[in-house]
Amino acid sequence: MESPVRPIVSIAALAALAGCVTTTQSLEAIDNATYTLDPTHAFLTASVTHFGISDYRIDLTGFDAQLDFDADTPTASRLSVQIDPMALDTHYPDPEKKAEWEAELSTDGRFLDGDDFPSITFASTSIEQTGEQTGRVTGALNLRGITNPVTLDVTFNGSATSPLDGGRRRIGFTASGSFNRSDFGMNALTQFVSDDVRISFSGEFIEAE
Amino acid sequence: MTRLTLLAAGAGAFALAACGGNEAPAEAQADTSAAETETAAPAEAAAAPVDEAAQAIAGTLTDVESGAYNLDRTHAYLGFYVGHANGISKYRVGFADWDADLTFDAANPAASSLSMTINPAELLVDYTGDYKASHPDSEFETWHDDLAFNDRWLNADEFPEITFTSTGISLTGPNTGEVTGDLTFLGQTKPVTLDVTYNGLANAPWNAEQDLIGFTASTKITRSEWGMEAAIPWIGDEVKVTFSGEFQQDMS
Repeated sequence: MESPVRPIVSIAALAALAGCVTTTQSLEAIDNATYTLDPTHAFLTASVTHFGISDYRIDLTGFDAQLDFDADTPTASRLSVQIDPMALDTHYPDPEKKAEWEAELSTDGRFLDGDDFPSITFASTSIEQTGEQTGRVTGALNLRGITNPVTLDVTFNGSATSPLDGGRRRIGFTASGSFNRSDFGMNALTQFVSDDVRISFSGEFIEAE
Repeated sequence: MTRLTLLAAGAGAFALAACGGNEAPAEAQADTSAAETETAAPAEAAAAPVDEAAQAIAGTLTDVESGAYNLDRTHAYLGFYVGHANGISKYRVGFADWDADLTFDAANPAASSLSMTINPAELLVDYTGDYKASHPDSEFETWHDDLAFNDRWLNADEFPEITFTSTGISLTGPNTGEVTGDLTFLGQTKPVTLDVTYNGLANAPWNAEQDLIGFTASTKITRSEWGMEAAIPWIGDEVKVTFSGEFQQDMS
């Protein structure tokens, strides 16, 4: 797993600078360019249903993404994502047991099997525009060494520029999708935990220098 | 019925002082749309397709024992979302130290009651950068501590507890309701209403006597109403709070 991109913006410094921030929902202002994830302003969560009665969340805390964004023809954009299966936050209450449980989820062959498959990847293969700000991004998800197509419903939320980003633009998205874990050979505990896994993301990408 | 929670507070960012005139309406819209989409997560949880096997576990309200229930912290989530950068993304924070007690009346769910306590000093921010390097002027070593203890944010030293206590419940459908209660946050108490979905009953095979009931809930609060006004609108004023989790029948 590559190390995460460094945080780009110093918010305190922003405040000090009191520079002007520009925000727009228009695609026209956006340069066609490569954008990289700002990991300090992004989350990626996987949820399953537990016992049929609650939503169990696992936050994936080590991930990176690159977006070749084509503002003129958004469907020509390309997205790739790398996720570290060893970096999880389960919200488990007891710190010691939390670490054990997260290690089990990360490495156990019944779950993410991260020792054998140290990176989960997603690479877009096609994009369909469904509205002015929305689209469907289909790509190849490689999880536990198995690749299947997964489609994400994506909303483009707009873009912002601020002095501290050095004039570079940040663009924000929200996305969600789902897949069956059994399609990736993950069949454990299906009597208690749903096969259906929901993915939820929101975050910002910053124009590469 | 119910569990819920609430709380909320903002997250951060600073005074990017409103510089005049940049498409304010569009920003507001962006904020809203981000919030709505995010709402999808909890709502979806209730509506999400559930495996047949898992579904078979879930029972109906009429099978549920009334009485005291304790939160199962190992199967529960409480967190909040706030728009960032004038709403172009949703920033998410989880609570790491919180608890809730539910007195559940299965025959008359509206007569149930809920109370919840949250420690604002224990957050899950999953900050991956070097905070000190990018924020040399901060008096805090980490983003976690800034958010938890800065008096612009959760101010946990001065207000070490956030609480919610239900005051009234109304049913809106067979499995849904509104739980109104008092939210005490940053020293001020104001009413908040939670939209709650009851997701069903389960009995674990290894402890079949004990009823487990699951809920999903969410609400939106306006943080400035509790006096947290920093960095609006770069950091949204509207805070969406979401919960999903299980309560265990108190067998003692």
